[in-house]
Amino acid sequence: MMSPALFLLALITLVPFFSIIWMSFNDVSLMGGLAFEFSGLDNWQRVFTDPDIRSSWLISLVYFLATVGLEMVIGTVMALLVYSLTRGSNIIISLLLIPMFIAPVIVGLLGRFMLDPSHGLYAWMLNESGLFDGNILGSVGSAMVAVILMDVWEWTPLVALIVLAGLTSVPEDVLEAAEMDGARYGQKLLYIILPSISNILLVALLIRAMDAIRFFAIIFITTNGGPADSTKIIPIRLYDIAFRFFDLGYAAAVGITMLVFSIMVATAFTKLLKRQEKAS
Amino acid sequence: MTASKRWLPLTFKIALLTLLLLWTLIPIIWMVLSSFKPNTIITADTPQVFFTPTLEHYVSLFSSGNSLWPYLLNSLFIAGTSTLIAVVLGCMAGFGLSRIRIKGKQHLAFWIISTRMAPIAAVIVPLYLLFRYLYLLDTHAGLIVAYLSFNLPFAIWLMTAFFDDLPPDLEEAAMIDGATKFQAFRHVVLPLMTPGLVTTAILCFIFAWNDYAFAQTFSGPSTQTIPIAAAQLLTQTGIDWGKLLAIGTIVVCPMAIAGLLVKRWLVQGLTLGAVK
Repeated sequence: MMSPALFLLALITLVPFFSIIWMSFNDVSLMGGLAFEFSGLDNWQRVFTDPDIRSSWLISLVYFLATVGLEMVIGTVMALLVYSLTRGSNIIISLLLIPMFIAPVIVGLLGRFMLDPSHGLYAWMLNESGLFDGNILGSVGSAMVAVILMDVWEWTPLVALIVLAGLTSVPEDVLEAAEMDGARYGQKLLYIILPSISNILLVALLIRAMDAIRFFAIIFITTNGGPADSTKIIPIRLYDIAFRFFDLGYAAAVGITMLVFSIMVATAFTKLLKRQEKAS
Repeated sequence: MTASKRWLPLTFKIALLTLLLLWTLIPIIWMVLSSFKPNTIITADTPQVFFTPTLEHYVSLFSSGNSLWPYLLNSLFIAGTSTLIAVVLGCMAGFGLSRIRIKGKQHLAFWIISTRMAPIAAVIVPLYLLFRYLYLLDTHAGLIVAYLSFNLPFAIWLMTAFFDDLPPDLEEAAMIDGATKFQAFRHVVLPLMTPGLVTTAILCFIFAWNDYAFAQTFSGPSTQTIPIAAAQLLTQTGIDWGKLLAIGTIVVCPMAIAGLLVKRWLVQGLTLGAVK
């Protein structure tokens, strides 16, 4: 029963996988038909020496730490709040979940709409309150903050949903006992709640980590890496190399470095699953 | 109410929740609301809350020269077909994987999960070359294959997790009663898997429907999907916000409703079975 699916999966994943490796050792040209010219380690040498690539990885790192960090913190707070509700939690979590079903393109569209310098609602509010009066998506710094917050807006609900599922496994009797002994909320949180959901938090972290490098449509549609390359995370850089400069061999080498990152995350994820299996 | 749930002053809690709800919902409400505003109100210098609602943007989307219909049909066809293939094959493979005891099963699992996690930007590069070579650029089949590259491993993985929750005793009992393996699967196992199948299908459909990067790279004039229609309007000078917000509303609403329909199984689905 497994063979049709596994055969198809092998076909559509292994062929591209070996192609991308082969491409990374070639100069691939698209002009006048496909042409491969073996170029040895040229592309690989560029990957490790190109200052543009290095700065893109750095921006990716900042983007990654900021988005995933904020999502974890806000998502956990969101889950704790909803969990503490005695009624209405069902409808409230449903409302809070909506952003994660929204296509990243539309999240980008919403960002552009809300931040439009001449008639965006958020731009107007920031302007009226005197907090910021420039072109948010057009200025270095504020553009980065904006694209980070768009990602946070879309994916915090996912973290909240995962943490909320974990909170149901917090031992109720231990909490009650702690309360009888006069424990404050902060103490309960630190010594009982957080330790018992640590595995769940790790799942949320890994899921977000893999998606942080998978998707790039929000930035693509809002700043496309600008202004002055300040939001050019590594997937956007790769897309530029491949489809603006048509340097597909080089793009393949950059793509493999990204794959290495996602394979590391996948390894951590399967290890975690195994640990959970043993625990249960 | 259990004692352990009582914490933090109530007012503080409500204030914080309200803030989070506003942060989450304002952009969506503002988009849907503005899609019914005339253009003069949308582009007013100060945001307007009161206006006479109009359907002009929706009407013009479906009637003007560059109608949204072809985009909508492409989206439905491509996302629908890739979902169907992924769910059927994923269900079969998931059942097999869940029941089989073989050496190296964890390597198989690792291969499946890492294909699901592969960065889209990295997958696009070799696929573009292969599609060009096979004349699959600007075809429905090309995009369906592209979406299968993430939906198929997702469906296999998730269905395996759902089957793992179902004790094999049931189908074994049916087989003792004389049913063949296929009959046991068809009449005993499958009906119990409905929530799993529906969840997997809805999530696969949402992933494909929401994709932009693959469609942007592989589609051409005859295969463009709705996200591409939005992106095209967005890159024009003099953005037609009314039309765009109407497209946004059309893209978002069905997916939000579909997603919330399977809310109970969402955690399991979106964590690939790691959380139940």
